[in-house]
Amino acid sequence: MPAMPLEGIRILDFTWVVAGPVATRILADHGAEVVKVERKDPPQLGNRKLGLQCDLHRGKLSVAINMQHPRGVELARRLAAKSDIVIDNFSARVMRSWGMDYESLTAVKPDIICISMSGLGHTGPRCNYVSYGPTLQALTGFTMLMAEPDGTPAGYGYSYADTCGGYTGALAALIAIWNRRRTGRGQFVDLSQFEAVASVIGPALLDISVNGRTQPSPGYNSQEGPAAPLGVYKCRALEGDDDRWIAIAVRTGPEWRRFVTAIGTPAWASDPKFRTLYLRMQNSADLDANVSRWSAEHSAKEAMAILQRAGIAAGVVANGIDLCARDPQLQARGFWPEVATAKGATTQVTGIPFKLSGGSGKVRSIAPEVGEDFDYVLGELLGIGRAERDELVAAGAVWR
Amino acid sequence: MTGPGALGGLRVLDLSGHRAQFCARLLADMGADVIKVEPPGGDDARRIGPFVNDQPHLDRSLFFWFYNLGKRSLTLDLKHSRGAGILLELARSADVVIESFAPGTLDRLDLGWDTLHRANPALVLCSIAPFGQSGPWRDFIADDTVLTALGGMLYVNGFPNHAPVRPLGLQAYHSSAYYGAIAVMIALLARDRTTEGQWIDLSMQEATAAAVEHVAGGYFERHEAEPRRGTLHWSRFFRVGKCRDGYIMHCTLGDWTSLVEWVKSDGKAADLDAPDYQQVMYRYLMAEHVFDVLDDWVKDYARDELLERAQLLRQPYATVRPPEALFDDEQLAERGYFVEVEHPELGCRFRYPGAPYLFNGTPWRVSRRPPLVGEHTGEILRDELGMTPQTLAALYAEGVI
Repeated sequence: MPAMPLEGIRILDFTWVVAGPVATRILADHGAEVVKVERKDPPQLGNRKLGLQCDLHRGKLSVAINMQHPRGVELARRLAAKSDIVIDNFSARVMRSWGMDYESLTAVKPDIICISMSGLGHTGPRCNYVSYGPTLQALTGFTMLMAEPDGTPAGYGYSYADTCGGYTGALAALIAIWNRRRTGRGQFVDLSQFEAVASVIGPALLDISVNGRTQPSPGYNSQEGPAAPLGVYKCRALEGDDDRWIAIAVRTGPEWRRFVTAIGTPAWASDPKFRTLYLRMQNSADLDANVSRWSAEHSAKEAMAILQRAGIAAGVVANGIDLCARDPQLQARGFWPEVATAKGATTQVTGIPFKLSGGSGKVRSIAPEVGEDFDYVLGELLGIGRAERDELVAAGAVWR
Repeated sequence: MTGPGALGGLRVLDLSGHRAQFCARLLADMGADVIKVEPPGGDDARRIGPFVNDQPHLDRSLFFWFYNLGKRSLTLDLKHSRGAGILLELARSADVVIESFAPGTLDRLDLGWDTLHRANPALVLCSIAPFGQSGPWRDFIADDTVLTALGGMLYVNGFPNHAPVRPLGLQAYHSSAYYGAIAVMIALLARDRTTEGQWIDLSMQEATAAAVEHVAGGYFERHEAEPRRGTLHWSRFFRVGKCRDGYIMHCTLGDWTSLVEWVKSDGKAADLDAPDYQQVMYRYLMAEHVFDVLDDWVKDYARDELLERAQLLRQPYATVRPPEALFDDEQLAERGYFVEVEHPELGCRFRYPGAPYLFNGTPWRVSRRPPLVGEHTGEILRDELGMTPQTLAALYAEGVI
């Protein structure tokens, strides 16, 4: 078996909650050795052997170190000296208070890379603000502009800021490693999740700065060039569930003609008020009402099949069951791999969205229990003998 | 600090259309030399608004500007055999090619993986397609809205019994672009050891699905579909509340004692001072009631005043703001988030959103404004391929460049 792409890279991982763990799981999936440093009793965010928590921490190692204990800090510094990257997502002051900040760690590892994924960054008047994904989404405009048609803010039902921040962190780590291999130098990366998530509404920010335009809630108006019909249309109920929708996007003239044919050339479609894209957009309320009458007669899956066969962008508005159990494409590509749990059972986790011709990444194991890799980390990595390990536990510097 | 940038020396050919061009932008920001290869009539993204002063023009699309900042532009007709030949020549000295054509298109242009790999075994090819390069939906088409639908990103936003609410911005594309850049860097790091390039097959649907925090986890844990819950976050620790002058985001994960003391001092705590609420799990179970009480508490506050006091008590509250507020944000200003980019042909400087991360050694930077159509065609073909003025003129006359 070929070596994994990131084999030989060790990450000392102080991250928790979601954004940081997303970053390090991407590195772990591709062969980096990720050593989670945690408290003995981290906040209970769910079962680590299943679901989200397993997704976040899979393929990593765990050691429980008491960072309030000077000998605990000393262990962490020794681990940093044997690592390529130290990563955290605390607010700015925490790592400094432990002497685990970039400046301090260069003393034990001159080419160390430190990545701090704090909420609002390490500098500036609000660097000590406490934040989570949903509060950063509120500050950047997502919550307000993802609104109901009447303007009531809705926002995401989850923390996109965390997954997006996680990708930014993973990319920063990889770029810093690439650069270090060429220059021999490490560096400090100050990643503000607030800035990372602001950056992914770029075109809207440019429209504000260049044209001075107040951004409306986009609703289902196109954000990538004009389209009509565009949006979600209600479909026939499935097994008593009437919360079924199809997303449809029709842009060009040829697409419109294929769309009309695919839905059976209804009389309304030849109405002059739908003749051009401009007119379809002008009369979109009428258009949408007509399209909804068609979609209501079909299940979302049927509607998608009819439209995709005609070369129209259309897709089921997938709920969790559609996504994880009924999507033939994701299943064919093996996007929900099985990993072994204890006792010979398996569970499914989120896969890796890209394949590599020279050997793809891989979910190597489910998430570790807190402190599970005590012997490996202290014994093998740090070469601490059994007696001293026992003594460190007795002293309260580390938990087994 | 100017230096070469973290990715100095890396050459990227960006063939991608508007759905994937953020990927190479992420690499250009860190110092890679990114050549955007456009059809002679200009990339499709140049026709997407908004436009400067609402005047549609290939060189005035803000949509194009954002995704192509820092790249150079080469116009080349890849459907013309001479154009494909030139691309292949450029690929010999490139590190990365990024493309988002319909699967199979590169093969038809005689620029498929086998051809590129033979020409340059060290080259990394990153193919970004709506559903990837395999599977029964390989040839299906999708835009961002359809990808958010099929990736599970759409269903869970908004209120029960209302239509799902679509994300702001093109987040299916952005998630894919981030994964694309990550995949490219992983392949490049692998190349350090193997000297071989790889072909990356990235599915935008999968990248979208991976960006949704809780849906897959919820299914594999409980075999249920996560519902829409209005503004109540799936974790049940956040909900939007309404102050007298606007909305705020509540959070019940901060220090509970100090929050309740504050609410109590305003005479609005109802039963929240009961000891049970000290348990995070109890607040989780009682979320609707807790937020109803907190909503009643905040309704007479001005939202900025509430935010300042909350943060002094280390309560992770936030105001619900429009994106315009980012331009007046002191934190972003102090950190120099917005950067000015000069557009000399328009005689203007414009503020662009800046770095998502600050590297202290090899900073994120803007090397050049977004390119005009074909702005660097001559210089690239002359410098890289040694073409004479006569050859360039002939290619131009034939419509290849």
